[in-house]
Amino acid sequence: MTTGRKLVIGGVVIAGLTAYMAYRGASASWQYYLTADECLAESESVVGHRLRVSGRVDPGTLVVAKDRTQASFALEGNAATLRVVCAGPLPDNLAEQIAVLVEGRLDDAGVLHGEKVLTRCASKYESRTSASAPHVANRTRPGDRL
Amino acid sequence: MTTFGQLCLLAAFVASGYAAFTSFLGWRRESPRLQCGGQCTGVAGFLALTIVSAILAVALLVGDFRFAYVAQYSSRLLPWHYALSAFWVGQAGSLLFWAWSVGVLAMLYRFWPRRTPSPLREPAFAILMAYQCFLVAIMVFGADPMQPSLAVPRDGAGLSPLLQHPAMLLHPPVVFLGYAACAIPFALAAAALLSGRLNADWARAARPWTFFAWAVLGIGILLGAYWAYEELGWGGYWGWDPVENGSLIPWLAATALIHASMACRQRGILKKTTLVLAVATFAACNFAAFLTRSGIFSSLHAFSQSPIGWMFLLLFAALVAGMMVLVIRRHAALAADASISSLWAREGGVAASVFVLLLLATAVFVGTASLPISQVFFPHKVLVGEGFYNNVLIPTGLLLLAAMAAAPLTRWGAPPEKRQWQTLALAAGGGAAIAALAWLSGLRHPLEMVVAGLAAATVAILLGAWILDARKGSAKILWVDLLGSLRNRRRSYAGYAMHLGVACLALGVTGSSLGTQQRELTLRQGETVRWAGRNVRFVGLRQHSFPEKLVVQAELEVTDGGTAPYTVLPAQEYYFLQNEWSTEVAIHSSWSGDFYTILHSGEGQDRVRLTLVENPLMRWMWLSGGMVLAGAVPWFWPDRKRGGKEVSDVVGPTAVLSPHGDRVGATVELSPQQQSHREKKTRRRSAA
Repeated sequence: MTTGRKLVIGGVVIAGLTAYMAYRGASASWQYYLTADECLAESESVVGHRLRVSGRVDPGTLVVAKDRTQASFALEGNAATLRVVCAGPLPDNLAEQIAVLVEGRLDDAGVLHGEKVLTRCASKYESRTSASAPHVANRTRPGDRL
Repeated sequence: MTTFGQLCLLAAFVASGYAAFTSFLGWRRESPRLQCGGQCTGVAGFLALTIVSAILAVALLVGDFRFAYVAQYSSRLLPWHYALSAFWVGQAGSLLFWAWSVGVLAMLYRFWPRRTPSPLREPAFAILMAYQCFLVAIMVFGADPMQPSLAVPRDGAGLSPLLQHPAMLLHPPVVFLGYAACAIPFALAAAALLSGRLNADWARAARPWTFFAWAVLGIGILLGAYWAYEELGWGGYWGWDPVENGSLIPWLAATALIHASMACRQRGILKKTTLVLAVATFAACNFAAFLTRSGIFSSLHAFSQSPIGWMFLLLFAALVAGMMVLVIRRHAALAADASISSLWAREGGVAASVFVLLLLATAVFVGTASLPISQVFFPHKVLVGEGFYNNVLIPTGLLLLAAMAAAPLTRWGAPPEKRQWQTLALAAGGGAAIAALAWLSGLRHPLEMVVAGLAAATVAILLGAWILDARKGSAKILWVDLLGSLRNRRRSYAGYAMHLGVACLALGVTGSSLGTQQRELTLRQGETVRWAGRNVRFVGLRQHSFPEKLVVQAELEVTDGGTAPYTVLPAQEYYFLQNEWSTEVAIHSSWSGDFYTILHSGEGQDRVRLTLVENPLMRWMWLSGGMVLAGAVPWFWPDRKRGGKEVSDVVGPTAVLSPHGDRVGATVELSPQQQSHREKKTRRRSAA
């Protein structure tokens, strides 16, 4: 057998093994990516699945526990809002009217139980004025937090 | 000033477009006059772009809010260095920096003194100018950094607190410089494909630029990881976010390109692969721009949805299609000069590594693009998580580590000699012994033991190869011959130093991924807790006020028995302008690991809630960046002939390389008659 043929066979084996490992990894870690509107509209088909839902924190709905381990708020889409209850450490800049991603599962009552809340980093390529205009109504002030 | 800036931007657009056109025409018609015109307008375009950049930099430094960009990203309270860093934080500014970097590198490439002009220089310069024109066109028509404010505000919106970190001063510009540098190997590959000059000369000319792009991009990625580790306050440094993956894909492609290009130059194999990789690396940089600027990917980074990203996707598609057409057209000329002689020859290892690197890059690409791809096959958009990437990275990473470890004891064109095999076996035994030691010291995960063994084998094999090399020396004094080997084969050893750097990276990634421990707790003032072999005492809260922020630190006194007590100060910072709290972690670093502390909200003056994290071997990961940079310098440092003159990159005096890729002399390009005479002479010698 020529060296070239040996390399081709080895390559096919490695590629097959990698594809299998990738498939296993994907099966164990995939999640649906939905907007708040889509999540509500298709709630029956996504109940119990891992979800990553994007939306904005609805003003006047954010309630954060003093130790910042729990929070509840309404996730605002274009047409509807989704109730979210989150447990676990919360990001520093969680505030009203900012864009967030919530990872968790939807229950039968249509409440999203978040395991992780990710605030979008208003960083590169988007100015604060356009992306996350500061809405200060329910923000903490110096001294409230520490 | 805004109008002047806009005029300069327009001038840069026209001049770089004209330079691209005339340089290309000058090359096709072999007209020195047109070529000279192309150079002059190229310089004019670059100068115009430099003026625009200088205007923006000064406006940011002095807080000139007549510029809309300055008003959006800067403020009067921002320290000057962060004000300047706002240059590359926004859409328009980052594009300007990218275009200016392409201009700087194009000028360096075009005007670097060479003894003999290269036939690929003009078309490559034309391609670089065309790319610069593309970037400037996006600014002119879509993201103008010189746009005036509609109403001049008294103060700007300021920079996000998360971006006010030393690593952020460097991470974006270094990554953009890496992207810009990837354009030069691409320009040379495209010029070679267009001109039909498909021997290894283009790869030789592209070599220093490829190393430069690879090292700079790698350092940029590592700086980004360092920023995430210190600033985002979750103890990690990599989240497989599309933005991170966007810069990883071109880096993986560039790694494959470096190795394929070696095989192309040394053995005349992997010619098509090398050309395709040069184009693919550059295309991947544009794909990264599409990822971050189109807004269609699920990223933690809040990127705006703009048509700019689609321009980059269009360029990406055009590059891929154009490359396929040209490679098919030049198929016959790209046939390999030789075949791979043995699986155990160096070219066998290089071919296998290139394949595995491509596999890894493809997997990262597929994972990143899973969101739009899934829409074609499923009713809902589907994202793959960390498990997908980790499952691919582990087997491919281990294969690459093994190939990398064995590299110093392999030869081009033949399997290792007997002594090399013996040294390999000895080093493999050493690696196995280290893996066993790791098990005895308490590590139980098979991956930790395998990586420890492979890292040890990498060091042992390198030492063995160095000693074998030195034994061939003439001085017969070991240390003199060891130094002689380093001097004579400096590039080979620099490459192996980079391999060591990658081994350090593997150690850091494995240690911090598998050995991390974390604990959340609440402490009263004066209370001590024992955790992970340390006594941690909460001394009290400190408060400092600055013009732009209020800083509240928790003073933690730590004793771990082995070293003197030390203090760490995790903090919460309140930014007045942004009305935003930011967590500032405190890290005590050592070679065994990092003690990483996060302060959460306090519960009154005498109680704090903390997260303590033990991250083993993190320092080894940052060390890898230094080793890679140090190892890359000899590769992109220009060659000098003994007389002090530069060796030409393409024709004229051509480098003669040792089997290990080091330049050992130079020869001149011969006429067909001289070539035929030399071949006859060689045949006579062989017969004799």
